[in-house]
Amino acid sequence: MKPTRSDRGPLAAFLSPALVIMLTFFVLPVIYVVVVSMLKWNGISAPTVVWFQNFEKLFRDKSFIRSVTNNIIWALVAGFIQVPLAMLMAIILSRKPRGWKFFRTVYFFPQVISGIALATLWRAIYSADTGLLNGLLRAIGLGHLARDWLGTVETAFPAVLIYWVFYVGYYMVIMMADITTIDTAYYEAATIDGASDFQQAIYITIPLIKKTSLLTCVTLASVLGLRQFEQVYMLTNGGPANTTNTMVLYMYKKMQDSNYGRASASAVILILVGVIFIVCIRAIFTGRNEEAAAARKRRREMK
Amino acid sequence: MTESRVHHKLSPKEVVLAVLRWILIIFFALYTLFPLVWLVISSLKTNFEFLALSPFALPAKPQWQNYVNALSVAGLGRMLLNSVFVGLVATIFNVIVASMSAYCISRFRFKGRESIYTLFTAGILVPLNALMVPYFVIINRLGLYNTYGGMILLYCAIGIPMSTFLIRGLMDSIPLDLEEAAYIDGCGFFGRFFYVILPLSRTGIVTAATFEFLTCWNEFVFANLIVSSEKLRTIQVGIRYFTNQFSTDYVSMYAAIVISIVPSILGYILFQEQIISGMTSGAVKG
Repeated sequence: MKPTRSDRGPLAAFLSPALVIMLTFFVLPVIYVVVVSMLKWNGISAPTVVWFQNFEKLFRDKSFIRSVTNNIIWALVAGFIQVPLAMLMAIILSRKPRGWKFFRTVYFFPQVISGIALATLWRAIYSADTGLLNGLLRAIGLGHLARDWLGTVETAFPAVLIYWVFYVGYYMVIMMADITTIDTAYYEAATIDGASDFQQAIYITIPLIKKTSLLTCVTLASVLGLRQFEQVYMLTNGGPANTTNTMVLYMYKKMQDSNYGRASASAVILILVGVIFIVCIRAIFTGRNEEAAAARKRRREMK
Repeated sequence: MTESRVHHKLSPKEVVLAVLRWILIIFFALYTLFPLVWLVISSLKTNFEFLALSPFALPAKPQWQNYVNALSVAGLGRMLLNSVFVGLVATIFNVIVASMSAYCISRFRFKGRESIYTLFTAGILVPLNALMVPYFVIINRLGLYNTYGGMILLYCAIGIPMSTFLIRGLMDSIPLDLEEAAYIDGCGFFGRFFYVILPLSRTGIVTAATFEFLTCWNEFVFANLIVSSEKLRTIQVGIRYFTNQFSTDYVSMYAAIVISIVPSILGYILFQEQIISGMTSGAVKG
């Protein structure tokens, strides 16, 4: 509907609160971090312009490099291990086995529990003396493997990273919603042709969700992997020896030290790495393989 | 594979697949539930039972006292109220502002509409954690550091793109004829909003509100950033402090975590459809 003359005033009035908020809390802050990333500023005394010095210092700081590497590993594990697991479960549950609604509800639990509560729970699980994991290992006779999971340099990062990987509910639900929109005629035809469940998943389901929910989930999982904060903050606070640092935690610590320039520079890098990830994932998913899959699908449909 | 599912006899391969399928289903369920059950059981033990006996043993007598400790000693009750208050007020403002903007974007074709829409979409994708520094500065400049107002404003604000997106999705599906009929009957801009569009987008608004409230309830980073006073702490910030406060009183700490999780789980079970549709439709866009 085109706004009539009398609608114009109210329209502006209705839009303005949201617009003011968007400008204040989204546009301005992004500009702000870009500008402040080029300053040396402790928040109190007058800032001085240092151009790209903050970035130079960041790249020479081993603990920042470690944070970036950790975040990239995190994003890749989330996108290419967690999401495929979620897809597997989505394919299984969308066949509606007995009790599927119950399982869907349970798998989704971690998504509604706060990151902080979950991290605290897992800190208790990993705890050296009283933890569930060590208790479990001792109970099955593998007591020699028990250790201080979060306090040991070798195991701290894998421990922080891994528990989240098996929480697949969020991505599973997104992909299930997509899978249920696939025309059942495809599956019926494939069944008559003697295609197994496995073949149906490979040749029908996956190609059909690849460009939609699968792409979304991989993007989302990677981007969330780049933003990790609560988990590491609560579980290890970046330790031991910075092995579990992440970009946001690094930024947070620089901010606590009133090093606003360096904190903003790492924020800029965080945003840039996010954009690069989104662009790359899109490129991977809409590349050459897509045509081959579409062709396979067409062949199947013709049968 | 020659056997088809039309025949009811299962081949050995299909049996293996079915068994594998159930192993996976049960593994993922246990992976989620077992730690939670362990947490609840631990929260009912005495510290002696927890520290000295097997982690799988049940408490001799459930220690409800731990919950009393968590609620009274740690001031958990106050924190729960803070979370509810901040979450509710932020959610109300959020859905009011978002419904208004969604109405404009969804029902009118005006200059700049596309750019505004792009701005909202970009808002969903921006990593908010990266904006900690400016948020801290903005809240300070507004004189809202360490106030309920600061938290409410920030929570309301950061949820605007998502809520607008969710509500707009529903408004888009309302047929234009209805609105035109109202217009011909002399219904103005506000009349159409209040009497036609708003009642019909109820489900979208409920979804957005549920999603926003859950986000507020679980939010930690900013609550930790812009509030320092103990009296204003939300439950998530509180949990972080318990872990120090109760560093030796494990069982009370677990009781505190259980208390913080229960509302989320209950709310989820009650509003499952809204939460799932909110989280999935938002994601499909992103």
